[in-house]
Amino acid sequence: MEIASIFSPVYDAERFGIQLEASPRHADGLLVTGPVTRNMADPLRRTFEALPEPRVVIAVGDCARDCGVFRGAYGVEGAVADVAACACGLAVASHVLATGEVASFHTDRLLPLSGLSLGLDRFGVLFVAVTAVVGMCAMVYRLGYHGHGLSSRTASGILPLFVTALLLVPTASNVTTFLFLWELMAVTSLLLVLADHRRRLEVQVAGQWYAVMTQFGAATILVGLVLLSTRSGSQSFAAIAAATPHLPASVRSVAFVLVVIGFGSKAGAVPLHVWLPRAHSEASGPVSALMSAAMVNMGVYGIVRVGDGLLHGGPAWWWLLVMTVGALSALFGSLHSATSGDLKRLLAYSTTDNIGLVLLGVGASGLFASTGHRTLALVALIAALLHVVFHAVFKGSLFLSASSIQQATGTRDLDRLGGLLRRMPFTGTIFLVGGLAMAALPLLCGFVSEWLLLQSMLHGLPSTDPTIAVAMPIGVAVLALTGGLAAFTLVKAFGIGFLGLPRSESAAFAREVGPTMWCGAGVLAALCLVLGVAPFLVIPAVTDAARSVAGYRTASPLTGGWQVGLSGVHDVLAPGLLAVVLVTAVGLVALVRWRFQPGAVRNSEAWGCGRELQTARMEYTATSFGEPLTRVFDDVLTPSHDVDISHVAESRYYVEAATFHSSLDDAFERHVYGPAARGLRHWGAIARVVPNGSVHRYLAFGMVALVVVLVVVA
Amino acid sequence: MNGEFSSALTFSAGTVLVCAVTVVGLSSIRTVIRVVAVQGVALGLVAMVLGVQHRDAGLVATAVVVIVLKGVAIPLLLVRAGGAGAPARERRPLVNIPASLVASATLIVLAFVTTRGVARFVGTSAGALVPVGVATLLIGFFVLVTRRRPVFQIVGLLMVDNGIALVAFLCTAGVPFLIELGVSLDVLLGVVVLMVLTRRLRTEFGDVDLDELQELHD
Repeated sequence: MEIASIFSPVYDAERFGIQLEASPRHADGLLVTGPVTRNMADPLRRTFEALPEPRVVIAVGDCARDCGVFRGAYGVEGAVADVAACACGLAVASHVLATGEVASFHTDRLLPLSGLSLGLDRFGVLFVAVTAVVGMCAMVYRLGYHGHGLSSRTASGILPLFVTALLLVPTASNVTTFLFLWELMAVTSLLLVLADHRRRLEVQVAGQWYAVMTQFGAATILVGLVLLSTRSGSQSFAAIAAATPHLPASVRSVAFVLVVIGFGSKAGAVPLHVWLPRAHSEASGPVSALMSAAMVNMGVYGIVRVGDGLLHGGPAWWWLLVMTVGALSALFGSLHSATSGDLKRLLAYSTTDNIGLVLLGVGASGLFASTGHRTLALVALIAALLHVVFHAVFKGSLFLSASSIQQATGTRDLDRLGGLLRRMPFTGTIFLVGGLAMAALPLLCGFVSEWLLLQSMLHGLPSTDPTIAVAMPIGVAVLALTGGLAAFTLVKAFGIGFLGLPRSESAAFAREVGPTMWCGAGVLAALCLVLGVAPFLVIPAVTDAARSVAGYRTASPLTGGWQVGLSGVHDVLAPGLLAVVLVTAVGLVALVRWRFQPGAVRNSEAWGCGRELQTARMEYTATSFGEPLTRVFDDVLTPSHDVDISHVAESRYYVEAATFHSSLDDAFERHVYGPAARGLRHWGAIARVVPNGSVHRYLAFGMVALVVVLVVVA
Repeated sequence: MNGEFSSALTFSAGTVLVCAVTVVGLSSIRTVIRVVAVQGVALGLVAMVLGVQHRDAGLVATAVVVIVLKGVAIPLLLVRAGGAGAPARERRPLVNIPASLVASATLIVLAFVTTRGVARFVGTSAGALVPVGVATLLIGFFVLVTRRRPVFQIVGLLMVDNGIALVAFLCTAGVPFLIELGVSLDVLLGVVVLMVLTRRLRTEFGDVDLDELQELHD
């Protein structure tokens, strides 16, 4: 259609010497405008062959070049398969949730020696359900998403495998099955992170960090679980759980610490978090959402499953360790996310922050349990698991909408965005809702879980136990500080990215993304709102999960219905009521304004105070907004600035150009991992001297080994 | 009758070890090949004696194969490889010859000390000769490590294999015929490959010194 109109009198392309030819034999080039379907392939090839030499083929638009979203229909089929997998997961999960029965499955054929053994209890089902919901939204989103190498055939094939592994990890019920699925999850996610490695160097670096950290974590998990299974003589989780009370305390402690290290690295807890901001920000949109909203949960799952489920709790220092890690992660993550200028990096650090809060709750729960406060322990565990669920929902929507922005503008640097709310209204609203939940503001889901966590820790204060009396106020302080920083982060991310004037061409010409994309993210954002107003929809399931994993026989400590409260305590949270009050208040104010304000009079500035010509350069940027925080916390954030001024040749007093670079380094990366990597490289260089290529030396190694073996055996 | 078998066994096994020490003490390639041929025949004799003693036709057949392969075929191949233009002597071994002889003595002592347990475990008079086989193996390895000429490397490999075969014959009164056949053919194949490699190296680089291959590293 458009092609025909080009040659109409209005555009008249013939004046440029371009002519439509009736026959391919007289033409110089061939114009292909759509995807080459199967029906059209043969005519196209014949047309091409009929062209005189030299042949020129001009492909117009994304569709013709690489089929765009319709790429070989493979991507479409792949996404459908993913959605089907998630739907299956959700169906099984809802069945278990509804009936409470434990589904299990065992076969000896798939894994040698132990057999594949899956079982879904009320704790695991929570994580399966969360993964399934996030996965379905991510897959719907993925239909419209392209770029980042996700449309390659490998990535399309691996994505369903990743989702399946994520869904199956919480169902593994023996050690070998668990480790197998864990590795499957790690490897598939690594391949998905690396999908775009050919085009961008940062992806390779992120992949290296991720590969090293995830393998390190898997190794410690392997050692910890194998230690438990050998000492208890069986590798099924049920048998281990039955045998652990009789194990010596040292074995239990070593296993617990190893497992916390391993799962902590997957959860992105400080100081093992360094892979997370890199991998999550370099991965493609749906993958980063899945990693941040579903995969890090598996770290929490592992710690709770082993600590509470297999070991039945332990001494107070275990849980103080978990609390310390959680508090450090929360503080470090929230500080970095408040100062980062990269949208996805900011969200990734916020993941570290939120997982830190979850670990804080898990640790507090264990600490309460070890000192005999069983009800408080249950409340803290419920709060932590609730935060896992809510974090998955809001972080999923945030990552998906951030990826939409990246696709629409080509950048994720906040300093180059701005004014996007008007250009991308759906994505902007979704980001705002998710961000409000992240900042734990009332009416949204993040608020409920953090409130519950705060309550559980506050009610531990009257305790006479000195450990609790010291740990809980610190926990409360950390929670309060991270809440404030999260609000700061939201103001920065939303204010800089979506309000104001666009700071670059790409932001100015951004267009709303396709409906599947904002729908995928929008469902999660809607869930934020629904769960924030009516948390009783998930609280029973979470309570059951917490009670089943830790074996609590006590009744649910939470009063249900529209209110959330602790039984026996007067503090009650009624988000539904709050919503009604708030909506009424806002409605009243709007009514009053509308009623008493005279017609639309627009005031223009008499004295514009120099702001009549407002440009983007007068606005706050993300960097300047975070500057005060950066200055206050410069010991932790280690900012580095570099001003480069070049002078005009004639005079030093005239500046020709000035460039300014500033970057925030991860303190752990610089002070812990840097020296460690240098040390390893040094030893590697030394070790490389030993095999120098001499055949005789290699043979001598063999001979020496033989002699040593002989002597040792004899 | 038993005593005669025993002394015949001791004589042929001893010959294997003496040949090994002789190889360490020599530098002429031609002589070394002859000595290794003698060692192969001696190994075959060990199998032959055991086969006759235990009236085991398979073991006798193995002995014939061993003698033909290790006593005749491989040495002939080696002589042909060392034929045109190859230097006749090992000029600079990594460890000089007197020191090598002392080292072989040490290795023999080591073999006898470390395999006493095995000898006692086997119990028979043949079992008492197991240390001889291990000593041959270690000396073969030593030749592999210290000599530079490719032919010496092949000879060292042969000696390692002879040592292993000797231990196998003595401990278990012979491995099954098929396995021995397979192993022998493997060694033959290995020798052929090494020789082809040596010849190619010589045509490419002239005189071959294995240490010069170090530059191919990395």
